[in-house]
Amino acid sequence: MTDDNIIEITFHGRGGQTAITASQLLAELAYEKGFKDAIAIPIIGAERRGAPIQAFTKLSKDRLIKTYDSVVNPHFILIFDTSLLDIPRVQDTIKDGVTLVVNSKDPFDTSKFGKIIKLYIIDATGICIKREFMHASGPILNIPMLGAFGKITGYYDLEIMEKVIKKQFGAKRLEKNMMVAKDAYESVKEG
Amino acid sequence: MVETPKDFIQKEENVIIKGNVAAAYAAKSARVQVISAYPITPQTTVVEKLSEFADNGEMPGTQYIKVESEHSVLASIIGASKAGTRTFTATSGQGLFYMHEMLHWAAGARLPIVMAIASRGPAPPWNIWADFTDVLSQRDTGWMSAFCSSHQEIYDEILMSYKVCEDHNILLPKFVAYGGFILSHTSKPVIIEDQDKVDNFLPPLLDEEGWPHIWMDPKRPMMFGNLIMPSGFYQEFRLKIHDAHIRAKEKIIKAAQEFKQLFGRGYGNGLIQEYKMDDAEVGMIIYGDLALQMEDAVDYVREEGYKVGMVKLRHFRPFPTEDIIGVAKKVKLLGVVDRATAFGSQTGGPVSCEVKAALHGTKDTANILPIINGLGGREVTLEQQKNQLRKLVKFNETGEVPKDTIHGTLWDCLLEVK
Repeated sequence: MTDDNIIEITFHGRGGQTAITASQLLAELAYEKGFKDAIAIPIIGAERRGAPIQAFTKLSKDRLIKTYDSVVNPHFILIFDTSLLDIPRVQDTIKDGVTLVVNSKDPFDTSKFGKIIKLYIIDATGICIKREFMHASGPILNIPMLGAFGKITGYYDLEIMEKVIKKQFGAKRLEKNMMVAKDAYESVKEG
Repeated sequence: MVETPKDFIQKEENVIIKGNVAAAYAAKSARVQVISAYPITPQTTVVEKLSEFADNGEMPGTQYIKVESEHSVLASIIGASKAGTRTFTATSGQGLFYMHEMLHWAAGARLPIVMAIASRGPAPPWNIWADFTDVLSQRDTGWMSAFCSSHQEIYDEILMSYKVCEDHNILLPKFVAYGGFILSHTSKPVIIEDQDKVDNFLPPLLDEEGWPHIWMDPKRPMMFGNLIMPSGFYQEFRLKIHDAHIRAKEKIIKAAQEFKQLFGRGYGNGLIQEYKMDDAEVGMIIYGDLALQMEDAVDYVREEGYKVGMVKLRHFRPFPTEDIIGVAKKVKLLGVVDRATAFGSQTGGPVSCEVKAALHGTKDTANILPIINGLGGREVTLEQQKNQLRKLVKFNETGEVPKDTIHGTLWDCLLEVK
């Protein structure tokens, strides 16, 4: 038994950017695809819209996940807002060997982190604005971020996303969600 | 009983849900007839989900009562239970404390109420995160209490609890507790069972039939809870509550067996659940969410070559004295982990005190190392739990009490005070 059997993902977002929902949806996507176990762990305090928030998802293909503790050495970090990368608390979670998936229009210099990382960028905000995929406090970033993550990892595909989104949000909202997911799936690139 | 419309009859499904939602599904599966609710973090989403079920028409015939405080929640539930209905509610921390007077009333009236507790630390300082002091400090109210360590266990334990509580030879209320946020707000796969199968395990209550000792009927007026003189049966009533607790142990064991047969999920003997204790040299007694994580810690420390094991305490009331003695005869040293406080008591932790008391007078039982950790939701990592086990191993090998104990208890991972 080793930690290697569990894939760990950290989400950094701001209150209202739907990162916590993303952590839950990711657990569902992987489970739907046939992973043996999954857990979504939101870190809940007294956050308000715009405050930095954190969530984790742990996935396993072959064993039960028994831990409830925070992820400290994630395999992947999803950053919903580039301004979070200036916060030391967020920077501290970036370790050697991690893959970053960042909501950003343009590539950027990652040498400031001083770590060996792999970077993917996805213009999730741009996609949401283009498709008018918004809620009261801004773009709904979870679907494009998860579309990009699916493409990068191959843990699930658009078909699985369609199934889970339909189950979670109903048939009425399916089309727009899938449009956004597909845009992200096709446009994520190495940064 | 009101028939459920065809579209809403629960079929077996495997869903990823929060612990609180699992509790709400359990109440729905149990066909509870009266829910009374007042919101409090981290329990709120239990009663929110139930109000959604009720509003959608998924729980036809269920009365959902909104009241102005937790005290009124339990007062209204007591009234409903007296009328012979299956009742449910949920609360946390301060809300449970506000119910305290009514808790005694529910147990004294022998009402089989089941209440989910998403445990949180008592204030001050204000706290909303996992700490079992809320439910453990209600020890002497006469309520039974169970602890869950997984999302599935919340669903399963609520169903098993109704079975035990409503047994005509028991008739006691029960808490089903789980760590606030750690289980209440994380999401994991849970199997929601087929309604027919649940009905088979826990038959729906018939209309207009009460409990054997209380049957509210306008045609047959009765008086409830009136004054009893010191020369009356007060002491005998109290003895009967204690006696019912002791007798409930075999019912809990039986319910767990039946549950396993029907649904395929087992929880030890219902009272405790051992993990790798058979060849263990030291062991850990632990309850709630940390018990599941401790299983991983046991596996890791075993890989290092140490024979460690653990016991999940599933019930605190009734206390499984005989099982704990049995476990304490298997090993030389037992750690007892509390995520709760009992100030001024022998160990400072409610469960470690209880374990020590249970072993009194029995020879050749394990030494006890009380441990307190994770108060007010402070994170307890897998690494920390591995270290706790390693400390036990070292203590057992060298006989030296760990250096960081205070008044005989290991207060694990204290912050440095400068």
